[in-house]
Amino acid sequence: MKSFLKGLAGAASIAAIGISGAAKADEPIRFALLQDFTAVYTFVTDEYNQGQRDYIELVNREGGLNGHEIEAIIRDTGNEPQRGIEAYNRARREGAILVDFLSTPVSRAAVNRVLDDEVVMITVLHGRGDASDGTTFPYIFPMMATYWSQATLLLDYIDREQGGLEGKRIAHVYIDSPFGREPVPVMEELAQRKDFELRTYAYPSPGNEQSATWSDVRRFRPDHVILWGAGGGQAVSVREAIRNGIPQENILSVVWMAETDARTIGEERATGIKRFEAVATGTDLPIMQRILEEVIEPGHGAGPSENVGTTYYNIGVASMAVATEAARLALEEHGAPLTGTSLRDGFRMIRDFDAEGMMPPVSFAEDDHQGGGYGRVSRWNGEAWEAVTDWFTAHQDIVWEEIEKDAAGFREGR
Amino acid sequence: MFYRLSGVHHTRYETARRIWPVPADRRMVYLVLALAVAAPLYMSDLYLTSYMLPWLIWSAAALSLTLLMGIAGQLHFGFAAVMAIGAYTSIHLTRAGVPLELALIGAGLVAAGIGCIFGAAALRVKGLYLVMATLAMQYLVDWTIINVPAISGGAQATLSTPSVTFLFVPLRGDTALYYGALLWAVIVTMLVLNIKRTSFGRALVAIRDKDFAAAVIGVNPFKYKLLAFFTSSFLGGVSGAVLAFCYYQAVTPEQFGFNVSIQLVAMVLVGGLGSVIGAYLGAGFVLLMPIVLTNVVAYMAIAGWLSVSSNLLAHIPLMVYGGLIVGFILFEPLGLAKIYDNVRKYFLVWPFRHTQS
Repeated sequence: MKSFLKGLAGAASIAAIGISGAAKADEPIRFALLQDFTAVYTFVTDEYNQGQRDYIELVNREGGLNGHEIEAIIRDTGNEPQRGIEAYNRARREGAILVDFLSTPVSRAAVNRVLDDEVVMITVLHGRGDASDGTTFPYIFPMMATYWSQATLLLDYIDREQGGLEGKRIAHVYIDSPFGREPVPVMEELAQRKDFELRTYAYPSPGNEQSATWSDVRRFRPDHVILWGAGGGQAVSVREAIRNGIPQENILSVVWMAETDARTIGEERATGIKRFEAVATGTDLPIMQRILEEVIEPGHGAGPSENVGTTYYNIGVASMAVATEAARLALEEHGAPLTGTSLRDGFRMIRDFDAEGMMPPVSFAEDDHQGGGYGRVSRWNGEAWEAVTDWFTAHQDIVWEEIEKDAAGFREGR
Repeated sequence: MFYRLSGVHHTRYETARRIWPVPADRRMVYLVLALAVAAPLYMSDLYLTSYMLPWLIWSAAALSLTLLMGIAGQLHFGFAAVMAIGAYTSIHLTRAGVPLELALIGAGLVAAGIGCIFGAAALRVKGLYLVMATLAMQYLVDWTIINVPAISGGAQATLSTPSVTFLFVPLRGDTALYYGALLWAVIVTMLVLNIKRTSFGRALVAIRDKDFAAAVIGVNPFKYKLLAFFTSSFLGGVSGAVLAFCYYQAVTPEQFGFNVSIQLVAMVLVGGLGSVIGAYLGAGFVLLMPIVLTNVVAYMAIAGWLSVSSNLLAHIPLMVYGGLIVGFILFEPLGLAKIYDNVRKYFLVWPFRHTQS
């Protein structure tokens, strides 16, 4: 009984910790990185989160933002909405003004809450695409190209660089989930405009077994296939595509295709496959050099150093680079302490920010939280992903039609 | 001593057949109920919305499942699908303008109807084979929701709950949502407690123990198996709707996936099959223990007591959690409810110690 009472007292004292509102003048700026380290998103979270923390470490070692350190609150949510909501509520009480779940189910469950609480939520390459409509979702920033933009960009690449779209047969092979079918409307719209034949093929989640789907794809004899999956299923998709006679050059993938996947397929065998790229890969970039110099080499890195420079690591770095830039602008404009609202204004003040060449130049505005929908196509050359195009954007009119439609649905409570 | 029996004389059948014949039990229930009702006064919004609220709703769901699995003995590994049907039905009904009170009943009825169709498999198969049939339900319902945009809500596959009133009270704000969940938990609790002492409940127990023996003594297995599925699915459907309206405020297919079904089964098993208090303890354990462990480990790391890689740090709570489940099952195979029961029996005769059970 005694120990039970002690436990109660302990719980109560934990409850008493940190009932504070916004960050005070001398207080650190708190970013909550409440991600899925143990369940579904494990293929990306470790590297992504490591990149985020290493970048925050770099900013702090370089003196912080006008003397304010950035503090990361990191918790595992296991991809479960109820755990994410708990972690979010706790982080908010600890003063977090930005939250990043890197999990579509969790961030969807948090949408109404962050809008009510006026906390910035970044949904880098996940979450609701229609949150690009900043007037409807003032506190949510998709920040990089939405899945719709990725789809139009990949198709535009085929149109311009791979012999045009007209009369082609394109197969969209996707994991059977809302994520997989998300780009279908914009692809269908583009199929009408550009006059190509589009067929969609779903494979069951989690995608370890796709042979039945691919024999269907084979019958269609597509000129190009677009892969829409994530994690372990991606390598299976590529293997099946090659087995069914589709040349590597004509396999294009959504952003979730990394070094690990290429190695799983076989470095030689994967040569030629292409993917959408949101952030430059590798360490040959000014920010990455500084991270190596000031964080990794002195031994302050947040994880294994071989992850530094991988696709997902760099996406993590870029996400924090944009967020930090927003915080810097917000501090200049509004001064300390930062709140969710001033941080949001900071995001909206960002113009042509490219993280020293690491990512396409993004600009946000009150009505555009996507930042332009830029990206590029990169190709596995047997050792690494190398860019084959410059940063570009395509058919944003179709993308925005879709954004407007879904955002209107959200406003009307649909 | 604590559960004093001396001096408690039942002179009428009504008092002897009360739900809690021992005064101490009754007082404890009143105390817990009073604490629960007063929770918004002394609990911070963090604990109210992130712990109490989901705990109550998941307890109601676990109670619905324990009625089927524990009392009627029919295994169900697709209960999240039942809740999904309830959640989606209630949202679509309220959007169509139906008041929430009726939408909840509609959610229950649709879930019960579909639940019965799959439950009909129980008329032919038992045990692991029934597990397969109910698993099929989970996957079919998942597939249907994802592949029919009219149900899931289009490209984003997210449906927000419209703002509604329940019994003239707008369901908005932490307190209103909490009381909505509390009300439903109390209703389900009383219902299951009462079902256990009716002829219906005894018929279910007879079916659980041996269905052909039950048939011999005049209990119609066809009727009672279907009734068990109907009742449990009805309660599960409404629990799903309450979960959507009082907690998530938006439904997506992932919220009712296969892993949720397994969690529900775990709640029922860890808590103790067929036990009402077990449903509460099991739901608390399965739902809240990972959260508590994550926070404890995180604070230990911040305090510098644990210096390991962040990857390992994220997995320590999982290991401890797994260890705890194995530990509890080894220590008391009948679940957390049995542990409570042992404690209660000990205090029933304390300071003497001649009870064995």
